[in-house]
Amino acid sequence: MVKTFISMLVISVMLLVGAYFESNFINKQFDEFHDVLSVLYVKVDEETAVMDDVYAVQNNWLDKKKWLHAFIPHNEIKEIDLWLSESATLVRDKEWSDAISKIEVLKELCEQIPKTFRISWENIF
Amino acid sequence: MLVTFFRTLIIFSVLLVLMRLMGKRQIGEMQPFEFIVTLIIADLACIPITDVSIPLIYGVVAIVCLFILHQLLSILEHCGNTFKKIISGKPSIVINRDGINIHELKKNNLSIDDLIESMRAAGYFTFDDLSYAIYESNGKLSALENEEKEPHPSSIPLLVINDGKIVDENLFRLGKTFSQLNKFLKEQNTETKKVEVMTVDGQGRTYFKNRKQKFKILSFPLGEDIKW
Repeated sequence: MVKTFISMLVISVMLLVGAYFESNFINKQFDEFHDVLSVLYVKVDEETAVMDDVYAVQNNWLDKKKWLHAFIPHNEIKEIDLWLSESATLVRDKEWSDAISKIEVLKELCEQIPKTFRISWENIF
Repeated sequence: MLVTFFRTLIIFSVLLVLMRLMGKRQIGEMQPFEFIVTLIIADLACIPITDVSIPLIYGVVAIVCLFILHQLLSILEHCGNTFKKIISGKPSIVINRDGINIHELKKNNLSIDDLIESMRAAGYFTFDDLSYAIYESNGKLSALENEEKEPHPSSIPLLVINDGKIVDENLFRLGKTFSQLNKFLKEQNTETKKVEVMTVDGQGRTYFKNRKQKFKILSFPLGEDIKW
């Protein structure tokens, strides 16, 4: 009984610590990526963005997604990949208004994805 | 992670309540909560393996959650009889010195046919072979043999009346008619709907139990041409 109780307690604590780490990690990654996207957004809005700016965003995302794969559904990562590559093409072609709408979607995804990991009524049910 | 934990918790609780409500019919040798753990774990392990778009940790967290629940319920079971009764249910005495307790059978969503099946699996063919029969909380039948049990029965009894309803097929197999059965019942000062169980074997030996009465062993002679 003592062994059962201890094993249950240890695993529950590990789970709670893991949940805390997961929540912090995901929020941090998406907050940082959101900030990087915001910089690109301003440059696209001012029509001064160059391909190196887009590559910087893509590289930033590549670093993050390697670890995010362990925590979030891979379809959501793929979605960001697609929107990001579309944005890159539009920046390259200097189609600023289309590019800005794609980046807005990306920013929105960065805000929404971490919310799906919060303990809330709609997430549980 | 915690969302997966809570979702597993909810599914587990719903399944546990449903399994307890289903009675002993759906359980086989495991306690209800053990059965649920087995039931869910198989799928939880498979989904992240087959669906590569789902992070492996989702399956791991859900399985860990089940482990925690399993340990918690095991501890609660040891805490006292009340918890044990709530979580796993309690054994039901379905045959006692008075005969079959049909009320207990119904409470566990079991029928006389289920009892006959369980008895046959345990090597008993007539109800009076047993002094006591208990359905354990894991759905297994435990039996205390009657000291006067016939060692080598020559035929298997057929169920002629099952909870107030005549089993036509078996009655005809014994070469009897409804009027002969009604006459027999009249001799016993009863009628079909008042009879809980009546079985007859090839020698006409009859296990007869009226509602709220002790069982009786009677004789319902079969015709000479009937071989059962």
